[in-house]
Amino acid sequence: MKNFKYIFLGLILFAVQWAEAQNAKGKTGTFALTNASLVTVTNGTIANGTLIIADGKISALGTDVTIPEGAEVIDCTGLSVYPGMIEGGSRLGLVEVGSDARTRDYNEIGDVIPQMKALTAINPNSVLIPVTRISGVTTALTVPDGSLFPGTAALVNLHGYTPDQMYAGFEAVVLSFPSTGKRGRWDSRSEEDIKKDAEKALKQLNDAWEKAVAYYQIDSAIRAKNSKENMEYYPEMENLLPVVRGEKTLLVEVNAANDIKAAIEWVADKDVKVVFSGVSEGWRVAEELAEAKIPVIAGPVLNIPNREYDRYDRSYANPGIMHKAGVKVAIKTADAENVRNLPYNAGFAATYGMGKEEALKAITIVPAEIFGVADKLGSLEKGKIANVFVTDGDPFETKTQVRHLFIQGWKIPMESRQTKLYDEFLEREPGLKK
Amino acid sequence: MKKYTTIVLLLLFSLVAQAQQKGTVLIKNGTVLTITNGTLEATDVLIKDGIISKIGKGLNAPKGARTIDATGMYVMPGIIDAHSHIALDAVNEATSPVTAEVWTGDAINPMDVSIYRALAGGVTISHALHGSANAIGGESETIKHRYGTVDPDVLRMKEAPRTIKFALGENPTRVHGGGSGIVPRTRMGVEAVFRSSFSEAREYMKKWDDYNVNKNKKGFKGTAPQYDLRLETLADILRGEIIVHCHSYRADEIYMLMQVFKDFGIKKLVFQHVNEGFKVAPELAEFGAMASVFSDWWAYKFEVYYSTAYNATILHKNGVVTSINSDSGELIRHLYHEAAKTQKYGGLSDNDALSMITINPAKQLGIESRVGSIEEGKDGDIAIFKNHPLSIYTIPMMTIVDGVVEFDRENDADDMRIYADPKETIDVTLHETGHAGDRCMQDAEFLFHE
Amino acid sequence: MTGLKLVFMRRALLILFLGLSYLTSDGQSNEMAPVTRTYAIKNARIIQAPGRVIDEGVLIIKNGIITAVGKNIDIPAGARIIQADSLYVYAGFIDGLSHTGVPKPREEDLSKKVKDPGNPPNDIAGIEPQKDVRNMLDPSDKSVDEMRRLGFAVSHAVPHGRMLPGQGAIILHAGETPDAMVYKQQVSLFSQLSGAPGIYPNTVIGVMAKYRGLYRQAEQAKAYNARYIQSAAGMERPVSDRILEAFYPVIDKQLPVVFKAEDVLSIQRVLDLKSQLGFNLILADVKQGWDISEKIKNSGAKLFLSLDLPEMEEKKSETDTTRAEDKKEEVRSDSDLEKQRLQARKDAMIKKYYQQPALLHSQGMIFGFSTLEAKSKDIRANLSKLVENGLSEDAALAALTTSPAQLLGLSATMGTLDNGKIANLVITDKSYFDKESKVKYVFVDGKMFEYKDEPKPKKNGDAVKVAGKWTYNTETPQGVHTGDIIINGEEDDYSGTISSTVSGDTNDLSDISVDGDQLSFSFTVVIDGNAVLIDVLVTVDEDTFEGTMTAGDYGSYPIEGERTPEK
Repeated sequence: MKNFKYIFLGLILFAVQWAEAQNAKGKTGTFALTNASLVTVTNGTIANGTLIIADGKISALGTDVTIPEGAEVIDCTGLSVYPGMIEGGSRLGLVEVGSDARTRDYNEIGDVIPQMKALTAINPNSVLIPVTRISGVTTALTVPDGSLFPGTAALVNLHGYTPDQMYAGFEAVVLSFPSTGKRGRWDSRSEEDIKKDAEKALKQLNDAWEKAVAYYQIDSAIRAKNSKENMEYYPEMENLLPVVRGEKTLLVEVNAANDIKAAIEWVADKDVKVVFSGVSEGWRVAEELAEAKIPVIAGPVLNIPNREYDRYDRSYANPGIMHKAGVKVAIKTADAENVRNLPYNAGFAATYGMGKEEALKAITIVPAEIFGVADKLGSLEKGKIANVFVTDGDPFETKTQVRHLFIQGWKIPMESRQTKLYDEFLEREPGLKK
Repeated sequence: MKKYTTIVLLLLFSLVAQAQQKGTVLIKNGTVLTITNGTLEATDVLIKDGIISKIGKGLNAPKGARTIDATGMYVMPGIIDAHSHIALDAVNEATSPVTAEVWTGDAINPMDVSIYRALAGGVTISHALHGSANAIGGESETIKHRYGTVDPDVLRMKEAPRTIKFALGENPTRVHGGGSGIVPRTRMGVEAVFRSSFSEAREYMKKWDDYNVNKNKKGFKGTAPQYDLRLETLADILRGEIIVHCHSYRADEIYMLMQVFKDFGIKKLVFQHVNEGFKVAPELAEFGAMASVFSDWWAYKFEVYYSTAYNATILHKNGVVTSINSDSGELIRHLYHEAAKTQKYGGLSDNDALSMITINPAKQLGIESRVGSIEEGKDGDIAIFKNHPLSIYTIPMMTIVDGVVEFDRENDADDMRIYADPKETIDVTLHETGHAGDRCMQDAEFLFHE
Repeated sequence: MTGLKLVFMRRALLILFLGLSYLTSDGQSNEMAPVTRTYAIKNARIIQAPGRVIDEGVLIIKNGIITAVGKNIDIPAGARIIQADSLYVYAGFIDGLSHTGVPKPREEDLSKKVKDPGNPPNDIAGIEPQKDVRNMLDPSDKSVDEMRRLGFAVSHAVPHGRMLPGQGAIILHAGETPDAMVYKQQVSLFSQLSGAPGIYPNTVIGVMAKYRGLYRQAEQAKAYNARYIQSAAGMERPVSDRILEAFYPVIDKQLPVVFKAEDVLSIQRVLDLKSQLGFNLILADVKQGWDISEKIKNSGAKLFLSLDLPEMEEKKSETDTTRAEDKKEEVRSDSDLEKQRLQARKDAMIKKYYQQPALLHSQGMIFGFSTLEAKSKDIRANLSKLVENGLSEDAALAALTTSPAQLLGLSATMGTLDNGKIANLVITDKSYFDKESKVKYVFVDGKMFEYKDEPKPKKNGDAVKVAGKWTYNTETPQGVHTGDIIINGEEDDYSGTISSTVSGDTNDLSDISVDGDQLSFSFTVVIDGNAVLIDVLVTVDEDTFEGTMTAGDYGSYPIEGERTPEK
């Protein structure tokens, strides 16, 4: 009976989604954004410039640009053009309704499961995606969550109907670094217990890693001999293998100061590509992070400090403090439905010490560099993918409106379910009377 | 570093002020955002013994009073949060669908460092609401952020009228129907709980009326109805002595409660969250119900899946008195930014946007005659910002409650706890994973059996 | 309740079985009748009351009463003489509030039996003001001996429980039967701000509301009863209600409410209830009163301070400090400085606890001590700490003797060493507040208890014996869980199971290890379809244990248990 009920509920849910989820189609072609202020991020700002989008790419930009024949000209007088913002770590597409387990797809069972791939589980038709992109966030890293190695994160562009259409060229194996911190206000473990638990988890991590290294050595030996032997089917190891080889990035979720130090130590003797994520207490160990030359994706910036005795603005100031110490800092919301607040997370970081320019980089070119896609994303440069948004002002300012949006060269309609509800209900008809 | 330590030590011994203080302070030459009377450039505001006594140019400070140079700064009324659970040791008495007899005022914790963090966001008053586990929750308390005391009484805003929390939808149905197997399990059940509760309260009132009429008659042999604190409170709602603040999301349930209230003659009604309020905005306006909403929270549960960040704008433009609230120890620190989102989502004017965190929540709490705008005669609750408070680049610099400077960015220590924990372990780092989240369901988690 | 009885019966059988040897252990009253009930304590330094001292004095006890005290007193021929040269004699101490002599009942999770958690039966909700601690006393409970050894002759004992556990009594720490122990019955209505897990009233706001509701209803019922007694004819018969009736003497101000209120906020919440409802109040087990002493004073509440104090970490050993000095040259990192700062704040906070009695004394407040939460093994050290932090020995003695006697209305018969008072004495070899001092004798109600050298502490590092059957209980937000833990085998080769009365499941234990008195093990349960590893770490103290149980992300909860005696 119970199952039946759920199926029934599920049907309703989907029926509703079908009825509401349609969006107006995107439009492809050649576009010319003229008379615009082009904020390139990497090469300063071009006043009164033109930017051409063709074949999904930025084909030209500058003040002396010929508009190709047949291009749709969009007059951007008084407007500014920015490279699409990149969210450094969200659950976008892996969850629809937070409290409903049936719509949560970011947390699989198991401790060492790097074979769980975000990319194929992302729902391209999530209602959350249009809500996000029309705020200028064109690209997001979507990250599985859980203990130890909960899966593989993927960078996606926020338009497309299949993983292939959305994939933005970067995947990373996630490691939730064993935490020595308390788990929340219920946690009344003694200091010793906490230590023991952390040691246990660290041992589990080291065991898994040792196995991966052994797997790598055997794999290398087989390759060296050009042997035809096959490795046994072992998806966990298969997916850790490129990390051990130093080919794939290890995305380490770590927050408390002691844990960050431990994580720095843990990666020190391993030849792996690594980026730290979360890093809420990075300000406590900024020097160490800089010295270790480990890039970070910090956030959420709009968060309360970890500890009662921390200065109230620590989370706001965290990216700036790390940046000043010489750490490469990107910013994330770590959200799902409100990844649209990425510019405000960056804006607070800008206000509390990071500065406007660096904060803008922290959600454009810096994550692109960290993810190894700086040749394609993160700035307005010729040849880069046309992820672009046009505003009537500073993108960090709350009241600023995004006027136009392009993702992979597609002109995206500026609407989401939220704007449609606005249109329908601002002046409801019928009003009070029947 | 040494200087720093001294400050901390000084604070240790000076923090614990006992009595409610009233200060005198002159704020010079700021851009004064009065909210009710436009923006006044290069204007002074004089607070005398906790009350705004004069607004004008070239004012002189009374002898010994502190003068604050606000040149180039923005001076606005202290921000008011109509929905918060900070400074509370208990939020939900989640064991029964009706707990009108409980009162969050009993659980005020003046030592919650969240109060200080809210002050650091310009917030001077918050509504310490009961949670949303029950259809009829507990009475709540409006508190002033007079930080630095261990005495809960100091925080109470004595002039504020009584308020009580109600709740509709998933929370009460999951806790009681889903968790304990008692009504309500559905939105139908929630309505039934209200109707039966108020009917019972009516009968109770009648019995007392009869008793009071007869008790002094000679030879009276009757007995009084048994005193019942729960029904006493419900009766006071029927008498119009308590403002109802109702947690709600869906349009249907919002409409339902207005019908119930019409039937029982209850008028003082503020909807909280009210994510689908925009769908019944004309009806809300007609009833005179007010709305206290999130700027942009949605999709964290099914009943907020069909939300829009344009909610506040639609409500406002339909004539509903609307405020932006936090329901969170995190959001409360930047309500000025949350209010600015009404400009992104609907293009409200600066004054309308700021009203949503000042005079409008004051109206919802019934304290608009005392606070919510900068007017002579009102309480000296002021927030001073560098840059316009609706700009992302704004920084709250100073927050004043009753003329007393409670937050001063330039001169405050990091560690603002009033009592340190004698059992804390210095080496262990506390890290709460995930979001700060809303505390509406605190103390009720254990009742979710799903 | 039957479970409790069984425990008593088993204990009784055990005593029979083991015979007298069990009872003649150190400090126990000899089952054999004493040769005489007359004692003469000779040549002692007799501290009759704070500030009232007789050097080389004599004190005579006859039939449980102090019959003479002073110098040059004739010693009756029939007296047993105690040569007390260089010994100190004090009045027996009075504990202002504790569970002494009241065995902790086994926790059962009754909340599961409740259909409507909003309307549970009173006993399950913890509302049992009609109960009398006399019915729960067990003279052989080890707490009696533990407190007596410390010099406490008298306790204000109250039942275990939650919001309204019952009525307290003044008990003497001697006597073969509960009745023999009781000095004064029904002296207080014990109250706490503790809610019931999972049922109403669950939180502090529920408890406060319920307290007000009950009190108002009791006032109303009492008034109606009075009317009824005057002219019953024609009136509806008032229905008897033991819960409300228990409040009647409180409303009449014949019975005070004794409220456990430890922290600064609880104290103020209780004071609110007092000012709203108007009862006479004894505030007990107060830990954080220093900032609100004026408020307490103005309320007129009587005051007992807790002897449970937070522990300050020992200062680093000398070698460590020298090493630290070597380091001084190096630049200290920010995190070191932060740690230092935090440690300083924490220490300053702890100091406030230590200095509180001295502070309140200097403000002219009168208080006693209570031991509801204090562990008996810490009490003497804690008293020393209070003296080291400014409380004069006289003031400390007053808080142990004359003040509690006064606050509890016992001054006529207790609190000083004067003629006619009950023979409650503590005899020590040095000043009681000297850390090195030892309690040599304690007299309670004229009965002598002699203490030879303290039993040697357990050899450090010796693994405790854990094999056997244990019962445990743990309180989580879901309610109280109880069950059995069975551990078999020997050191390095343990196996075992744990059962839960809630789920009815029995699970195997893994990773059982014993390190000194620390026992740890793990087991796996299924929560929401996920296997969750539960880690348990407890400290074993002979037949009981205490510790924490950690259930992954679900949190950590206190767990305690008791060895089930073998048949």
